Amino acid sequence: MKKINRRQLLQGMVTGAGCVAAASMFGSAAFAADTRIRHFWWGNPSRDERTYKVIDLFKNANPGFDVAGETIGWGDYWTKMATQTAGKNMADLVQMDYRFLFEYVHRGALLPLDEYFGKTLHLEDFDKSAIAGGMVDGKLYALNIGSNSQVMIYNKRLFAEAGIEFDPIKWNQAEQMDIAKKLSASTPKGVHGIDDATMNPIVWEAWTQQRGKTFYADGKVQAVAADLESFWEYWKEMRESGAAPSADVSVANLGFKMTESGIVTGATAMSQFWSNQIVGVQSLMKDEIGAAMLAHKKGGMPGQFIKPSMFMALTRDTKNPELATKYMNAWVNDPAQTAILGLERGVPASSKVRAALEPNLTVSEKVSVDYFNAIQSSVGPLPPPPPKGAGEVNAAFIRMGTNVILGRISIKDGAAEFIDEASSIVERAS
Amino acid sequence: MRKFFVRNLPGYAFLTPWLLGFFLLALGPMLISLYLSFTKWDMVGDPQWVGLAQYEYMFLKDKRFWQSLDVTFTYVILAVPARLAFALMIAIVLDKGIRKIGIYRALYYLPSILGASIAIAILWREIFNIDGVVNAVLINFGIQGPNWIGNPDTSLYTLVVLAMWQFGSPMLIFLAGLRNIPTELYEAAEIDAASKAKQFFSITLPLLAPVLFFNIILQTIEAFKTFSSAFIISNGDGSPADSLLFFTIYLFNEAFTYFRMGYASALAWTLLIIIGLFTAVSFYTSKYWVYYENERD
Amino acid sequence: MPDTTIANHELNLASQSVEAKNTNAAEISKQLRANRHKRESRQALLKHLFLGFFAILMLYPLLWMMAASVKPENEIFGNLSIWPSAFHWDNYAHGWNRMQVSFTTFYANSFLVTILSVIGNLISCSFAAYAFARLTFDLKKFWFALMMMTLMIPYHVVLIPQYVLFLELGWVDTYLPLVVPRFLAADAFFIFLMVQFFRQLPRELDEAAMIDGCSPYKIYWAIIMPLSLPAMATAGIFSFIWVWEDFLAPLIYLNDMNNYTVPLALRLFVDQDSQSAFGQMFAMSVLSLVPVILVFVIFQKLIIKGIGMSGLK
Repeated sequence: MKKINRRQLLQGMVTGAGCVAAASMFGSAAFAADTRIRHFWWGNPSRDERTYKVIDLFKNANPGFDVAGETIGWGDYWTKMATQTAGKNMADLVQMDYRFLFEYVHRGALLPLDEYFGKTLHLEDFDKSAIAGGMVDGKLYALNIGSNSQVMIYNKRLFAEAGIEFDPIKWNQAEQMDIAKKLSASTPKGVHGIDDATMNPIVWEAWTQQRGKTFYADGKVQAVAADLESFWEYWKEMRESGAAPSADVSVANLGFKMTESGIVTGATAMSQFWSNQIVGVQSLMKDEIGAAMLAHKKGGMPGQFIKPSMFMALTRDTKNPELATKYMNAWVNDPAQTAILGLERGVPASSKVRAALEPNLTVSEKVSVDYFNAIQSSVGPLPPPPPKGAGEVNAAFIRMGTNVILGRISIKDGAAEFIDEASSIVERAS
Repeated sequence: MRKFFVRNLPGYAFLTPWLLGFFLLALGPMLISLYLSFTKWDMVGDPQWVGLAQYEYMFLKDKRFWQSLDVTFTYVILAVPARLAFALMIAIVLDKGIRKIGIYRALYYLPSILGASIAIAILWREIFNIDGVVNAVLINFGIQGPNWIGNPDTSLYTLVVLAMWQFGSPMLIFLAGLRNIPTELYEAAEIDAASKAKQFFSITLPLLAPVLFFNIILQTIEAFKTFSSAFIISNGDGSPADSLLFFTIYLFNEAFTYFRMGYASALAWTLLIIIGLFTAVSFYTSKYWVYYENERD
Repeated sequence: MPDTTIANHELNLASQSVEAKNTNAAEISKQLRANRHKRESRQALLKHLFLGFFAILMLYPLLWMMAASVKPENEIFGNLSIWPSAFHWDNYAHGWNRMQVSFTTFYANSFLVTILSVIGNLISCSFAAYAFARLTFDLKKFWFALMMMTLMIPYHVVLIPQYVLFLELGWVDTYLPLVVPRFLAADAFFIFLMVQFFRQLPRELDEAAMIDGCSPYKIYWAIIMPLSLPAMATAGIFSFIWVWEDFLAPLIYLNDMNNYTVPLALRLFVDQDSQSAFGQMFAMSVLSLVPVILVFVIFQKLIIKGIGMSGLK
């Protein structure tokens, strides 16, 4: 194995390009490294507004220091982040998603935060479980800036019209089947009971945990084809009985975009989401919504878990980790800042902050917090961190699910093939 | 020696900006990507030399690579001729004897202006939805169409239609080319009572050949590199079921989603060789059908 | 119009003129003109019908987008009706000032980058194209092949090396990575386009000028450029539109929102995992098309100007 340092490579390139003069002319770019940090997040207009306000607060409280806020939408965020990572020019602080955290940690792009505990970073008020979500190999790599859990959002009007009463926290999969069928039968033509989850890796992960396995264990795929078969058979019954929309409608709305989900377009009475999306879904709908857990397996294990919805992480390219962690600390603890940030990124991990926010919640925010409190005793532990390649496995799941839902492959063959593929993806990525 | 300078100086003087750009901006990154194609690089650490392993995996083990080739070639073969034929037809109709041509030209260019925006992606889904406009028209003929974009068997064709619909730039280039054909030639042909078809084949086509050649080459290259529209319509990953897995989408995801820059570079150079072969053959055969006015060599 | 009918027409006219031996020549030619006029206007009507039909297909998306820009958020999707149930004109005002930085700044940035880039493209690409199309020098074919090669490499794979290069130069978060390459003829598309047009101009012009003692520089400026107005207009329009809409390079190179261009700002509206402001996004998208359409409508006239020039041949 021959190794070539990337910087040497670049120098070679610049020299070879006869660009030495230009490089030395412009090379010493004046970055005020000591007093300025960059914070990069993916956002939307409302999140950006809140975050910039918080940045201003911090700057006012810390004169002489500068924080540059950088933002772009989710889809473009990761392209830019990967480029900056490759260029060793990551922002000091970046927003991280659970799916990508481990990819970046395993590759050495993030720094552990442990040495700042009690100095610039104070996490005494944090829930232990919320901190654990950002731990990799015993070290904390990412700070929880909001928690969430899986949720089945349902349309209260359609449920009332169909005369359905159920326990949204305790209901099981057989009941879910009956309710969905009943809803389809009693609602106008074209409205179905529930969104088909055949292609939804999140619902599948909960299903497999209800059956005593985790998707991954010890960096390998632990889920088995038999469980996947039963999962796909269950949703096949939903589909064929008309409780879920037809296959091609589901495939067409594959992006899992909030605006195209069944509950928002009015095509179904229930859709699967993450709990920090409750407020967003309600803002797109006229009917009042309710939050239920993903249906349980009767006598099974808990399938759902509470996970960090977003993290803030310190990157290896930071030039002023003290200032960065100080900023981080204010973000999650300072009452003025947390009041501005609210629940927008998920439920805060600090009990103190939650208590402070409680009195000023909007109706839909209250739905989301109440749901969060109600599920605490019905969720399982956070599954072990996914291995490298987990994102690719998700994509493979969606692909195979598409083939299954459209009948291009049998459920039995599809399940076996997927488990094989997942194993080889994880193997190739490690 | 003097002669050498006299011969070369003007040419290289005019070529200087491009040469600078090529050596400073293009060559280095291209060579680096070639180098990376023989390595494993996760974009965080340092690249590791693996020789031909990436290419070996690509050709021998990677089913998705072949799928992406299949999608891309099908698209190129269908979309390029369709788009060019449409563009040429409209350009010819627009070229002569019609008033308000400016309005039509602007209208026909509109879809190309909309480009690959999010708006187009959303609109395209709406149009080809199960209860979209297309099926609403088909039902009048007693056909119940599928959900065109959601169905892996038909999704690629919606992109071919999109390519046809965004025919603005080749049309404009054809128009500029048609404008360059001296009108006296047609007048002379009228006097000789040459039929319209004959005029087309004996005047329009030969004189348009350089522009036609340009459009064929460039449209094919663009089609091989199709990215934005397919990316945005396929949720960025070629779905449903890899039916929109264009080569560049596969490459993009390998690099930026799965951190396999080495493999992505190998894919890029494979594509470059494919396009290069096509272009070389086109240039070679162009000797037999593209004539430049008053040009010797 | 099929050729046979035209031929029949010609025949009819001929027989008419034979029958009307007594009528004078002036009347015949008047008749001829009238017939011809009739034929042409009928053809024109057919053409307009044909073109108009397609024009509707072309217009639909823009109408849909404009409608989406004033629709209530939940009517944008799964709703084919173009007509909104209520008009939310405030999407425009709110969208304009929705971000921390107003769209006034985004537009100013976009204009700066686009205009500089168009100028750069037209100058540097026409230089290179002139060299390739009209001058002879050693290694011409070699350079031409390399130029074509830069067209073929997928952009994403050279993105990172280029980023590192500009980073080392200290150019990240400035407009230099967006503009400088255009002054160095980085868009080979335009070089090739101009080459194809330049090659069609008659050689005799250069030769005559050469004999008159014109240098190649003078020929470029005084002969090639004026004669290539349609090609330059085409290239100018394309490069304006493409740079205006360019998204990837600004995404990679610009960090500070104060430097964002319009297409980048449009991406700030949408977040697939939570609340988005689609109505405002569409409103701003519609507005972002205005400069592009204006440039197209104004400068496309230059393409027509080509007719006048063709008389030179």
